[in-house]
Amino acid sequence: MTQTLRKARREAGFPSSWRWVGTALLRALLVILCVTTAVFFLIRIVPGDPAKMILGEYATDESITALRHTLGLDLSLWEQFVRFVRILFTQGDTGNSIVSGVSVRQLIGDRAPVTLLLIAMAAVLAVCISLILAVLAATHKDKLLDHLIRIFPAITLGMPVFWVGLLLILLFGVRLHWFPVGGVREGWTGMLYSLTLPAITVAFSQIPTLVRSLRAQMLEVLESDFVVTLKAAAIPRHAILFKHVLRNSALPTLMLLGVNLSYMIGGTLVVEQVFGIKGIGSLLFTSISSRDFPVIQGIALYCAVAVVVIGLLVEIFAWWLDPRTKEKR
Amino acid sequence: MSRFKSFAGKGLSLAVMAVFMLAVIAGCSGAGGSTAAKTDTTSANGQSSKTTEPAAEGKTEAADGGTFTYARPAAVTSFDLHNEITANNAFAIDKVFEPLVSFDKDGKIVDWLAKSHEVSADGLTYTFVLRDGLKFSDGKDVTAKDAVFSLNRHLKVGGPLEISAKIGSVTAKDDHTLVVKLEQPYTPFLSEMSNFSNGILPDNFGGKTEEEFFKKPIGTGPFVVENWDPTGDVTFVKNEHYWQEGKPHINKLVYKLVQDDSQALNQLKAGEVDGIESLALQNAQELKNGDGTAVLTNGSWVTEQLFFNTLDEHFADKHVRRALALALDRDGLTKALTFGYAQTANSLLPTTIPYNSNDSIKPLNFNVEEAKKELAQSKFPTGFSSTLLVASGNDTRAQEAQIIQAAAKTIGIDLKIESVELAAFRERFFAYDFSAMLNSGQADSPEANSIIAFQTDPDGFSKSYWTHYTNDQVTKLLREGQTTPDGEGRQKIYGELLQILADDVPYIPLYYPDIIKGVRSSVEGLTVLPNGSLRFEDAHIAQ
Repeated sequence: MTQTLRKARREAGFPSSWRWVGTALLRALLVILCVTTAVFFLIRIVPGDPAKMILGEYATDESITALRHTLGLDLSLWEQFVRFVRILFTQGDTGNSIVSGVSVRQLIGDRAPVTLLLIAMAAVLAVCISLILAVLAATHKDKLLDHLIRIFPAITLGMPVFWVGLLLILLFGVRLHWFPVGGVREGWTGMLYSLTLPAITVAFSQIPTLVRSLRAQMLEVLESDFVVTLKAAAIPRHAILFKHVLRNSALPTLMLLGVNLSYMIGGTLVVEQVFGIKGIGSLLFTSISSRDFPVIQGIALYCAVAVVVIGLLVEIFAWWLDPRTKEKR
Repeated sequence: MSRFKSFAGKGLSLAVMAVFMLAVIAGCSGAGGSTAAKTDTTSANGQSSKTTEPAAEGKTEAADGGTFTYARPAAVTSFDLHNEITANNAFAIDKVFEPLVSFDKDGKIVDWLAKSHEVSADGLTYTFVLRDGLKFSDGKDVTAKDAVFSLNRHLKVGGPLEISAKIGSVTAKDDHTLVVKLEQPYTPFLSEMSNFSNGILPDNFGGKTEEEFFKKPIGTGPFVVENWDPTGDVTFVKNEHYWQEGKPHINKLVYKLVQDDSQALNQLKAGEVDGIESLALQNAQELKNGDGTAVLTNGSWVTEQLFFNTLDEHFADKHVRRALALALDRDGLTKALTFGYAQTANSLLPTTIPYNSNDSIKPLNFNVEEAKKELAQSKFPTGFSSTLLVASGNDTRAQEAQIIQAAAKTIGIDLKIESVELAAFRERFFAYDFSAMLNSGQADSPEANSIIAFQTDPDGFSKSYWTHYTNDQVTKLLREGQTTPDGEGRQKIYGELLQILADDVPYIPLYYPDIIKGVRSSVEGLTVLPNGSLRFEDAHIAQ
């Protein structure tokens, strides 16, 4: 009887997982298409002509017209869109930068490693620091340390990321010379060294929400029946804490981190500017000021892909970790 | 667990609090420190030109070699000298290509690749004789044929800095002599020849395609492009064949892209770069008094102005424009905003440009009573409401707008400040979609005609700098100034023209800002040019 039921469930579940994967992929594709189309039209609605930004205020009408023609900006919006979609599907690219003439894929490819490393470092830092603070807060519930840790997110959430970055630069870069003020040095160690302050800055913006979530989850688990049973069985407290409580409260926090990773892609853009890091953020910043349409579109496209992929991975991760989510599907 | 608790609890919380407190303290305090030895010197023509002396300890020693790292806010996107105009490219192109004549730090025209030049009495023939032993950076000789090719390409391309003179012919008389014949006299020609866009490149791009050539350009300049990322940094190495013997003294020059001004400032303070191109006025004092940093300045070819759209219903009225000029304390505004790094403007032309008439001209000076009387004569005697367009992202300009707004209010004009992003700002004024705006006029060469033609020529593409201002007498004087040879006659013409502009007020010249650059105190011999570029030939970094 039981075996028949299991078999029936498996049979019903197999196609449903594929359906889920199919729906998720379709949804992802739709999001990416919507984002790229919206960005294509939005940047063209905003006032500002790339030709005028390239040639400056002293350029003659003739030279502006000639450049607009070369760049294909004299075509109708619809023709430009068709051209954009054609390049996207035939070359898998959004074209060449209007300002530098370099392929957008190459531009993004050159700058992506530094941005990805920054996000990774920031994520690791955020998780480590949040973990320590949350464990301390949860184990010292309603004591001074808990209050201090709970006040900390309240203060830091109100601090703009660029301001935190500037403070770190002034203290550890300009004053103490412990870290470079900005830029990225060569080699792996150079990169890690120069990305330390920026990573702390990005992590700083993530820690408050992670600490809050993890602390709340840990408190919930600490008060659950199985912990009471474990305590009664005289299992050492640290074993309960790290083996059972932390493991059980980690899932929602990891899900939150996944969502936050998407925000971090946006957050690093500001931090890169403050620290003079030549990553995707600073590229986007320059491209917007100079109305470099293909680059803006390219970054929007790849960021949308990254956010969607992270979202998918988080869902798959949660599905794999927690049987309850699996059943829901 | 309890041990862990006490250790982790006290230690960590203390550490967290300590780091936080340190960060706050560091962030709140300004950059103090001792003052490096600096002197202010005055240049030959009496312009305020301040240079830095090496640090006072006496231990520093100027030596050849080393790398100069210069932080710049925008990347070099092209080396095509005939198609570029903006500073990000111009100040890199001028390191690689050099013109026949150039200008010194006081804006005086000097022979450069030419050892001499001669202008015929009728102003139609210009003869340039090349220096002996001139070589391109690849070691090949420079001949008059290269100069012919360079000028012809510029004429063919036109570009944003096109040659305004009507050129009849460009010929090589022999290997060393270039003859340019004009169809009609055009006095600004020599000065225009000093533009970076008239630099000399090898005949026929040295046998390469245009695209290949400008990726790895070959010129006569002090530096050669070693590495170039059009979205990042440029590394130049010294040109071993440079015609100025023993120069440049530095081995490498790095243009490091640092887009954020405060990041660049901090990199300079920490000694990670040797100089910064973009320095906000409000930070200049901090660098001047800072430990190990200094400020280099020179007069510029820029005039900061308040422009009026003469197509606007209010500002079409001359009395309204005059009333605003009288209501505005230009001297007070300059002192309040520029920290001593500017000179109050009387005429349209900065004092660094010949025939500026800044001392002889009679501008409409601050007098509120007179301003009210002037407005009473207009079609709007009781005042009106209008807008002042400003590009965002420039603190000085934002403050300028507020001062102007307050001054206008004293005579009953209510100016609403409209601050828009640079790209949108350009779009707006190019379409004459503004009533009044703050912007600056800049000369490309030390020549009166440069700013005047751009700001008064009703037939020019900019329609008198988008003011749409037309005055037949001004147009007549403008044309006369272009054909009259240098001397008293030309002085008189521009004196008269500038006085009409001061009376008609299509724009109010506010001040002439100095060029300011931040450097490390260890930097010596750097020349700040009035166009904002730097000459690195004599630069040393004290060891």
